[in-house]
Amino acid sequence: MGVAKPIQSYESVVAWGDSLQRQWNGDPLAEDPDKLETLDAFCQAVGKDPDQLVAFCFLRRKTTGERFTSRQRREEVVSKLGEFVAASGLRGTAARRLKSNVVSFLTHNGVLI
Amino acid sequence: MEFTEVLGIRRSIRFFDPDRPVERDKIQKILEAMRIASCAMNAHWLRAIVVYRDEVPAETMEALKLPVAGVIQELAPVHIYCYADLSVIERDRGARPKQLIDVGALNPSHGWSYRFVEEFVWPQLLKPLSESPEYPIPVAFDNGGAATQGLLMAFNEGLGACWTAFNTEAAKEAFAVPDDWIPHYVMNVGYPLESREAGGQRPRPPFEELYFEGRVGKPFRRDETVVKELQAANMLQAPAPLPGRKEEVRELSRKLGLPE
Repeated sequence: MGVAKPIQSYESVVAWGDSLQRQWNGDPLAEDPDKLETLDAFCQAVGKDPDQLVAFCFLRRKTTGERFTSRQRREEVVSKLGEFVAASGLRGTAARRLKSNVVSFLTHNGVLI
Repeated sequence: MEFTEVLGIRRSIRFFDPDRPVERDKIQKILEAMRIASCAMNAHWLRAIVVYRDEVPAETMEALKLPVAGVIQELAPVHIYCYADLSVIERDRGARPKQLIDVGALNPSHGWSYRFVEEFVWPQLLKPLSESPEYPIPVAFDNGGAATQGLLMAFNEGLGACWTAFNTEAAKEAFAVPDDWIPHYVMNVGYPLESREAGGQRPRPPFEELYFEGRVGKPFRRDETVVKELQAANMLQAPAPLPGRKEEVRELSRKLGLPE
């Protein structure tokens, strides 16, 4: 699996764009195409679409149905992100920026990362 | 810097210059400020471990970081880990208040004597307190005061600082922390990349909601003349957000490769 339709159409990506606009004004996703390209590439790398990626970071309590951040899954995503950045061959600020594009997506979707 | 201005300019700084080291004498001044803080029974529970980020092995550094706070730890070149040493009372058995008697800080005029410490303060106050589950409460209060003096000294020295939580298990192993020390927070210290105002003074609850006169529910009346005096002394400064703050944060995020 991975991204099966235009990435901008996923609910979590729309939420990311809205939150970025609220934070910075303008249209940050359109102004900086790297953001979406990085997310797309990461989603392909982990075999999940953006909505699945966000959903993966949360679990629900069996008793109450309450959603909570899963530490184990968070660590798994962090680890995958590390592998993704390492595979890019980038270093220093460029590597950090690559990672930050995905972290931004997760942060604006409420994921503790 | 004037005392009032130091109070006024303090912010939780989250963007540090990661490549600018902090002078050792400035770190010492932070610790000296902590040491002279007010402390019940002269006990001095606060312990601090100064750690230079670049001297910590990368693996240990990763282990010390917690989500969100980790970025601050990555950027700040100096970390001061603060703990409470709970064994002080049991170890000193009243010796510290006796020191205060010796130097004339505690006097018979206020009910103090060596025998008073031996007959009452140690056996009936300090010992039971140190065995009580509530013991960490006054300790944390005192340590917060002492640590804050250090925090303010950092700003007096032109530095920035921010408290964060940390992975206490990793720190215990990395820094040989004794079993009976209780972890507080780590003070992340460095030179700010943010402007001095860092976007303005942060929002606070209304004065009258926090402070009372005579009884709870009767707000302490805030005198605008005093407010103006403190504004003139730079303690009360322009409230956040100052114009251009978002642009500043975005520029810093981009410069440092942080998420937007």
